[in-house]
Amino acid sequence: MRHPILAALLLTTALTACSGGRQVGNEEYGTDNARERILRGGGVNPTNAGLIVFGVDRNQQTEQGGPGGVSVNAYLWRATLETLSFFPLASADPAGGVIITDWYSPPTAESERFKAQAYVLGRQLRSDGVRVQVFRQIYRGGQWVDQPASSATNSEMEDRVLARARELRSQTTASR
Amino acid sequence: MRKILLGTTAVVSAAFGAAVITPAAAQDAPTVRIGGSIQAYYGYINQNGANSNPGGTGDFGRTANATPNAVTGLGGYTDTQFLGTNTTLTSGAAGGLNGVATPGGLGVSLGVPTATATGALANTTAGTGIIGTVAAAPSQGSLTNRTITTGTTATGAGAFARSGKNDFLNLPAISVIVSGKAAQGFTYGGQIDLEFNALEGNLTGGNRSSVQRSTAVVGEAYVFVAHERFGQIRMGDEDGVMGGLMNSGFITNFGTGGVYGVWEQFQIRQSGNRTQTGAGQLGDNTKVIYMSPQFYGFDFGVSYAPNGGGFGNGGCPSDTATAGCDRAYAFRGATAWAVAPAGQLGAMARRNEYQVAARYRGSFAGVGVSATAGYIGAGTAYDLSNAGAQVRTMNGLNVWQVGAQATYMGFTLGAAYYQGDYNFFWGNTVRGDRQAQTLNVGASYTSGPFTFGSNMVTGVYEGGARSDFDAASGRLVRQANPTAYGDRNNLASQRRWGMSVGANYRLAPGLDLIAEYVYHSVRENGRDLDSARAGVQGRGFANVFIMGSRLAF
Repeated sequence: MRHPILAALLLTTALTACSGGRQVGNEEYGTDNARERILRGGGVNPTNAGLIVFGVDRNQQTEQGGPGGVSVNAYLWRATLETLSFFPLASADPAGGVIITDWYSPPTAESERFKAQAYVLGRQLRSDGVRVQVFRQIYRGGQWVDQPASSATNSEMEDRVLARARELRSQTTASR
Repeated sequence: MRKILLGTTAVVSAAFGAAVITPAAAQDAPTVRIGGSIQAYYGYINQNGANSNPGGTGDFGRTANATPNAVTGLGGYTDTQFLGTNTTLTSGAAGGLNGVATPGGLGVSLGVPTATATGALANTTAGTGIIGTVAAAPSQGSLTNRTITTGTTATGAGAFARSGKNDFLNLPAISVIVSGKAAQGFTYGGQIDLEFNALEGNLTGGNRSSVQRSTAVVGEAYVFVAHERFGQIRMGDEDGVMGGLMNSGFITNFGTGGVYGVWEQFQIRQSGNRTQTGAGQLGDNTKVIYMSPQFYGFDFGVSYAPNGGGFGNGGCPSDTATAGCDRAYAFRGATAWAVAPAGQLGAMARRNEYQVAARYRGSFAGVGVSATAGYIGAGTAYDLSNAGAQVRTMNGLNVWQVGAQATYMGFTLGAAYYQGDYNFFWGNTVRGDRQAQTLNVGASYTSGPFTFGSNMVTGVYEGGARSDFDAASGRLVRQANPTAYGDRNNLASQRRWGMSVGANYRLAPGLDLIAEYVYHSVRENGRDLDSARAGVQGRGFANVFIMGSRLAF
């Protein structure tokens, strides 16, 4: 009678000894609790809902990346940061969804430099949820002069952000 | 955010081993939340078995009540019966025949004893137009224990009823949820669910005693400790790993859950058209659960409960152990009571219940897949013969289950199949009874705020019990084959078939509008599932239309 339990325990112990296990969240287990089922059906994590009578709303903070939090879509925010990571970062405001980089000169073209501003526009992961504006200057006559960036640059940067956001999301979904 | 960075973390880490302890782990004060749900529905119910015996002078197809055995005093006075006027019981010899029923009026006649003494029943007087229900089987050889528990006049006031087809249903529930993080990197927490929908006949809650429907009942109540490398341990009243926590293939995310939804709460008991064998219906008996982290998409779980009782020591605090005591491993009447454990005593034969589950979840080209295989096993309580011998008369729970579901672009499709020794109440079967098989299939589609879905369940179960326990001989005795249709109503397989369609419209996160239709039927050859209709009605059915809203916070 106890063999299945023993086998399961041994297997689990063996696996636990290996690294690489992922903690399974409470929301990944089934429930017959009416409240949890309704909330899950509506896409709300039951551990984040309810009235806090004691303590702090830690889950909310975790999802939003810390106190103050990200109030825009986390995938887009993360993807934008990663895509613009080759720029030196000047400022990033997760509440407003604004990322402003400093000037950056590609090693292959030292006579021109670029600066980017990115806006993550909302909480939804959608193709118009991010705007990237690239500024370009060239070094002429001993000073930096504004030049228009190629018209395709902005949309190419946005496409890269969206592609990266899609990757991040599918990774998260797959690991659920 | 209130964090207490413990200066002693390094010391604690050294004590427990650095691999176990997350370095510089922070301890958070626990967060306590109150959540809840309110479900309010309108239901149109078209079911059979909605009326009780129509009364009057005939027995309307009921099997005639047996005349009491002259020697033992055992008889078939368990059904409501019409007792004629002017009946007398004469006194009998000690330990023997106590009364000879004198026929009078209609039906079987029985007087009301005004004095009861073992072995003699003197001075019985006439009962006048009594509808009596004899509650307990008498002890052998006397009428001492025979009591008439209910009685009303023959005009039938309050005894017979017809029921309507419309009703409302309100299902409030409150949860208290605690979550926190310990200094050693463990997360911990607990939950207490208070439900105000005491459904009579609930398997483990002991809810069949007469309580108001609005009485608060604690559903699940457990504490957990979890670690990212070692998994999670839960202890308390909670579903097992195959009893709801890790199952796959049950598609219930539309309507109120289709065949596993609230339709059964609209049901009237008579035709047996109620009670589920779905995941989560096995019961929240007190148990300990271990669930592993996920490795390459796989996670595993085991759970153990010493018996079927909820809240630990259930039913035992009376001065003697009885069948209602969850710790009783042998009790008189186990065979008869435990088959359908929704009895008044809540007697349960389940012993040493254990569940094991393995689950895989992954994603292939955008298709999310979840599959579970698992086993539910348990021993059984023994019956006691008159001589005190413990006799194993029942099978333990012995159930295999496999289930799988896939999700793609809002479509979800799933199925689960389970087979083994269990009956429709997740009770133990009597030895020699058939095994049960259940298949459920479901599909749903979610688009924006709309979710549509359908599921069905079909299964074959033992209808009653093929054998009776003879306490005198200590043997399990096979029941004789029926000689006429319906004269052995315990000897048939039970077939159940249910299907549903339903839809939700999400007004806001946590607030749904719902419309749902459920059909469910029970077929059992030879058992009367609707005593209000003439003849043996071997089929019970229900059509339930549900509309309403539900809110969770």
